[in-house]
Amino acid sequence: MFLALKEIKKEKFRSGLVIVMIVLIGYLIFILTSLALGLARENTAAINSWGINKVALNVNSNVDMRQSLVTKKQAGQLTDKEAYLGETSVVAKNAAKKKISAVFVGLEEKQFIARNLKISQGHKVNGPHELVVDSSLKDKGFKLNSTLYLNGSTTPYKIVGFVENAKLNIAPVFYGQLDTWKALRGIGTQGAGPTASAVVSKNAKYDNDQTGVQTYTKQQIINKLPGYTAQNSTFVMMIAFLMVISLVIIAVFLYILTMQKLPNYAVLRAQGIPGKVLAGATISQSFLLVVSGVLAGGLLTALTAVLMPVTVPMSFDVPILVSAGVGLLVMGLLGSLVSLKSVLNVDPVKVIGG
Amino acid sequence: MSTIAIKDVDHFYGTGSAKFQALHAINFAADAGTLSVISGPSGSGKSTFLAIMGGLLTPTSGTVTVNDKRYDQMGQKQRDALRLDEIGFVLQSYKLLPYLTVADQFKFVKKVRPKGNVSPAENDEILATLGISSLLDKYPGELSGGQQQRVAIARALYTNPAIILADEPTAALDSSRVKEVGTLLKNLAVKYNKAVIVVTHDLRLIGFADHLYEIEDGHLTQKQ
Repeated sequence: MFLALKEIKKEKFRSGLVIVMIVLIGYLIFILTSLALGLARENTAAINSWGINKVALNVNSNVDMRQSLVTKKQAGQLTDKEAYLGETSVVAKNAAKKKISAVFVGLEEKQFIARNLKISQGHKVNGPHELVVDSSLKDKGFKLNSTLYLNGSTTPYKIVGFVENAKLNIAPVFYGQLDTWKALRGIGTQGAGPTASAVVSKNAKYDNDQTGVQTYTKQQIINKLPGYTAQNSTFVMMIAFLMVISLVIIAVFLYILTMQKLPNYAVLRAQGIPGKVLAGATISQSFLLVVSGVLAGGLLTALTAVLMPVTVPMSFDVPILVSAGVGLLVMGLLGSLVSLKSVLNVDPVKVIGG
Repeated sequence: MSTIAIKDVDHFYGTGSAKFQALHAINFAADAGTLSVISGPSGSGKSTFLAIMGGLLTPTSGTVTVNDKRYDQMGQKQRDALRLDEIGFVLQSYKLLPYLTVADQFKFVKKVRPKGNVSPAENDEILATLGISSLLDKYPGELSGGQQQRVAIARALYTNPAIILADEPTAALDSSRVKEVGTLLKNLAVKYNKAVIVVTHDLRLIGFADHLYEIEDGHLTQKQ
């Protein structure tokens, strides 16, 4: 550590260059991770807020709640751990003709999802023309008692409450009554027709064995959300490539720095300085450079988090960002191993005779 | 008992038809308090001899004994330790670590070898003797070649070794500087009771030697 610290102190420009590289890579990894996390959360925030484990859908729905219709018979007997859920895409329009793509979720007010909705402002839905909507609509100028028109109809719907983090597939969620969902889907409220899109359950062992219905885990539903898996895979690949790039950059920089020092190291070896001391100096140098770079990248990310508008779907999760930082550190230490062989094999005889 | 004794050392490089004998039945000994100068032209085997004395090469045959310890029978780690404890190298290209100040060059050695080094007072005296006390905060790049050489000598003395091995210490120096370095090495041997061995092709140093050897085509002969 002594040699590493002294070298960094003396060779400020060279060390600074390496640190700047690591800061930029670290910053990019942190921002991409936060963006991936933010988008993933906006895809699944609503589903996660329901506290469900299993979902029973129509077997022909391709594991998509919006495409599923389940009859009362198929839903079977519901316990207090199950609830009906009707989901459909809507386009909402206000008096100013401002259009918003959203997801309408119809609920039975006595079942657990509706009961457990955490209203941040206003009250729960009490009638067929009332909506509780995601709080992000406030940023678009909507307030309590604002009126919305869904799917081009002339029926006015009133916003009676707001909930936080009600997003599904990045679209804001409008919670309403199950009968409203039926109306939006053009399904009659009487007879043996569809009752809901799905039956959701808090019970991890729930399994609907009715004909024409299949039960899925929450994660299976999330993975089949349109674009969700492709988007996450893209981010994971980008982050993985950045990690590999950081490994190569650190390895190349350290290799060049180490090659320049080999004649000095040969003298030290001739003087009896153990190879492990020189190897330790190389690893310490890598450690110090990467830690400095990652910390500076972290500070830059924190600054970005403060300045970033709330509309940007980013989520700064400290434990996950720390994991990314540790990953970068591991890559840096692996990069230093490339130079280690040269350090350990330095031949002190070469310094004799000139 | 000599501080360093070399008996019947042969050394070969290569194998088969490329096999080449660099040293032939070398016998050599040096005692504390003396300056031995081994001179010879380029390609005479000087560097091989120095590398074997310093424990950097294992001779093909023969024995190397430093303070009664058989160097040639030791493993790498033991030899590293013995070099650190018993031998101070002063190399032609001083190659002081460029990012350590003069003071840090000593601090680094102290971190690797916390015990057995000269005391701070002794080190101050060595620095004063070498005329480099005022250079402690300087980096090697800020020193002249002569100053770097004296720092390298101080660094070699810091571990309080029994032997100082100097490789071409007067290469590229003018006659007045050669005289200065010769006097310095002679004084080091006497004042600090070291066996100082200088390997050189510079005949201007032979006047300072207590023992003078000549090496040619791998054969060592004592001249004085």
